[in-house]
Amino acid sequence: MKILVFVKRVAAAQEEELKIIKDGEDIDLSKLPFKMNDWDSYAIEEAIRIVEKAGGQVAAISIGDRESDDVLRRSIAMGAKEGFLLNRDKPIIDPVLRAKLAFNFIKGENVNFDVIFTGVQAEDDQFGVFGGYLAALLGLPYASMVVRIEDLGEGYMVVRRELEGGLIERIKVSTPCILSIQTGINEPRYVSIMGIRKASQVERKVYEASLYMEGLFSGIELLKWSYPPKKEGAKLLPGDMDAACKELLNILREKGVYQ
Amino acid sequence: MGPLEIKRVFSCIQCGKCTGSCPESGRTPLNVRILVRRSQLGHGIDNSHLWYCTSCGTCTLRCPRDVKPSELIFSIRGLLVESGEISLSVQKALENTFLQKNPWGRARTKRAEWVSKAGLDVKHIKEVSEKRLLLSCCVHAYDPRCSVIPVNISRILGRCGVEFGILGEEEACCGNEIRRLGERGLFEELQEENTSNFRKYGIREIIALSPHCMNAISKEYGSVDFKVYHYTEVLWMMIKEGQLRIEKEYKKRVIYHDPCFLGKQNGIFEEPRNILKSISGLELIEFSRSRENSLCCEGGGGRMFYEVGTNYERNAKIRVNEAFERKAEVIAVSCPFCLMTLEEQAVEKGIEVKDISEILMEVI
Amino acid sequence: MSYGLLVADVRRNVFEERNFDLLGFCSLLGVDPYILLPEGDYAINPSHFKKIIKVGLQEEEFLNPLNMAHVVERAIQEFGNPYAVILSSSSSGMEIAPYVAGYFKVPIITDVSNYDGESKIFYKSYYSDKVLGHFKVEDGNFFVVTVRSGSFKAQAKEKYGDVEYVTINVEKKTEKRSFLGYIEEERQEVDITKADFLISIGRGVGSKDEIPAYEELASLLKATLSASRPVTDKQWLPKERQVGTSGKTVKPKVYLAMGISGAFQHIAGMRDSECIIAVNKDPEAPIFQYAHYGIVGDMHKLRDKLREILKG
Repeated sequence: MKILVFVKRVAAAQEEELKIIKDGEDIDLSKLPFKMNDWDSYAIEEAIRIVEKAGGQVAAISIGDRESDDVLRRSIAMGAKEGFLLNRDKPIIDPVLRAKLAFNFIKGENVNFDVIFTGVQAEDDQFGVFGGYLAALLGLPYASMVVRIEDLGEGYMVVRRELEGGLIERIKVSTPCILSIQTGINEPRYVSIMGIRKASQVERKVYEASLYMEGLFSGIELLKWSYPPKKEGAKLLPGDMDAACKELLNILREKGVYQ
Repeated sequence: MGPLEIKRVFSCIQCGKCTGSCPESGRTPLNVRILVRRSQLGHGIDNSHLWYCTSCGTCTLRCPRDVKPSELIFSIRGLLVESGEISLSVQKALENTFLQKNPWGRARTKRAEWVSKAGLDVKHIKEVSEKRLLLSCCVHAYDPRCSVIPVNISRILGRCGVEFGILGEEEACCGNEIRRLGERGLFEELQEENTSNFRKYGIREIIALSPHCMNAISKEYGSVDFKVYHYTEVLWMMIKEGQLRIEKEYKKRVIYHDPCFLGKQNGIFEEPRNILKSISGLELIEFSRSRENSLCCEGGGGRMFYEVGTNYERNAKIRVNEAFERKAEVIAVSCPFCLMTLEEQAVEKGIEVKDISEILMEVI
Repeated sequence: MSYGLLVADVRRNVFEERNFDLLGFCSLLGVDPYILLPEGDYAINPSHFKKIIKVGLQEEEFLNPLNMAHVVERAIQEFGNPYAVILSSSSSGMEIAPYVAGYFKVPIITDVSNYDGESKIFYKSYYSDKVLGHFKVEDGNFFVVTVRSGSFKAQAKEKYGDVEYVTINVEKKTEKRSFLGYIEEERQEVDITKADFLISIGRGVGSKDEIPAYEELASLLKATLSASRPVTDKQWLPKERQVGTSGKTVKPKVYLAMGISGAFQHIAGMRDSECIIAVNKDPEAPIFQYAHYGIVGDMHKLRDKLREILKG
């Protein structure tokens, strides 16, 4: 089985207060460490586990600048056989543009695959669009929020999707298909530094993204960045126990965890 | 195993001194002597036992045949790391250290937040003429309880006119526990990055706030052309020479706990005691196991970042109980790992755990 | 006059609260709401909609993105291009939206949390709400949008007395993806990482004897109990419940921390929770720095009051 996994290099912004610079034009990511998008590491891990069991190979593709080689090396260190970079210095904001680029690349280079994995979304833009849009462009069946791949059959897969409130949906999808993988589907293996060093010995092919972007244009335009309305520390609920409890229950209702 | 390791392992005469001195033996499945034996015979071992080791180093210090059993443990851990056979919490600690240069994955950009939070005027080492570097442990940098220690030392040094600087956001984990966890590659990355920074800024002297950092840089970073001190050495010198004056009394019964990485592994026993003894009103008492025999607090060897399987009475609890029996009011420490592991237990007995710098701040 | 094509957020015959965000957003766009609904009875108030389009598909077939693309195609045949196809940021909406957008090769913007009708600017959060991107959608046939739940329901208004009911059918139902069934999560071994709502007990609980009352509270609120290390160390709750660096990392919708001071090893395990509510006697407890809401008070008293209200 040949599994293609799209992986993205993102800034690790968990604890940071991000700084908007150039009058809203840009976000200062210069001091941030970068890593593989969380969702994508689950996707790669799942793909590797499948080929470890059922035979085949995994290829990792990344759309980004040269530094994205990091995530390709990590994918290879985890067990992917090859890595491809669709090189583009400036990030592509519109996920639709990325999907169309991927489509052109796959068609143009006659890329073989049985299944394509993506992560449900990226930690930075959280669009969650790439996988589904690409599936429609390729005319392939699609499922997102996949938390378990139950069965691999001849020409189909049975997968589980995670819905709200702990409910799980079981569906059958014919292959080839695209699946967007949800976190928690597995536990991505540890990749040691020496492992990553070894992965550097495997060639990661670089393609110029612009060659596959002729005539493509964005559907959305980013005008500027701003900060969301400020939240002050913990909003203290009224001191009176009764009132505090009632307020608490309201918050729980609003969050959808309690009816 | 490399040739050196094989040679060491086969030097073992199975005297059992290692297991006899191990703080984990008898209470956890870890049996160092048997581990070495099984390595000699090429028999399999139970990998889970390896993770009880706190890297206190006592076995290696006591071994009459230079087997260095603790190093054997780290090597085998290394094999497990390479094959990914490590617990999730160890994995996370390593991944976090790779990404943010501290095992909790806290933002590197916030490494020196203790400076601004305390309203201090501590400069980056590049802006200071005397290339004396104050080096904080990851614990000092990110734990609210321990961040008071670099603040204290900064104030003390500042008050005495001792010039120093910090690396700020460029400060990274020293890698002491990382190497002991078996991630050799990551240790080398940290070593490289830190050494490069020390060189870049022309560091002549490092005052390490944690004995672990002092140990790694002075003994495991290869040859370095600067001096590395633990802060207690520096402060004792300043007190001895009259630079640091102790003005007030500290009327408490204080018991001092020797950290493994300061005491038994690096031979610094007297300086912390001298500091305490120079404070009037302070009654200094000793644990039954002190100096070279100090009971490991079980914070080292990566134990701070993961939980071991068995439930057994922790050394920290035993230590606190003894302090209580000896009617100590304060347990004095000089290592952030000791501070955290002991304080967790001491809180229930009503005993305070204080870093030496905290005691000093109350009397100068 | 263009319209907003709303894809109803439904599951197991429930018409979700989130649909009001679709309505509110549609209202901001300034177009009439036409809503697509599958077969079956749903508790909806018709006066919210201009058109209610019943689709000849079972609920699960309706929620199949491959079928929905054809449903939208039929709707366009009947009613012309919508101004926008509007969906929820939910497990169904997030899956359907990009597929439908790709099918028609139109622009799509997701997780929109605000919109300015005058300037036609869409606000979308990046980096887990740390920054907001201001977007314009290019003019074209139409666009697809998913909206963040809770962001627009205030703008949902009842407006239509003369709602029109229409039915459409799709000829081709996909065979490339089919629904097999639902599974309710079996709660044998508790996996706190999967819970939506955690009530987390800290050292402040004081004694093992207080735990059963918290178990009752959790049960009443359909929450899962978790704990910080001091509690699991003492084995007052099993180790699998531990949140923190040496335990588990959780990201529930709600994290109610009771009697937890906020030591950073604990914080590291839960700081990405959507909504953190802290209860602690100590107003200086570090946890209040990380919480969204705080109650300074006795955790046992709060627990007992809550139980009283919930049972009464």
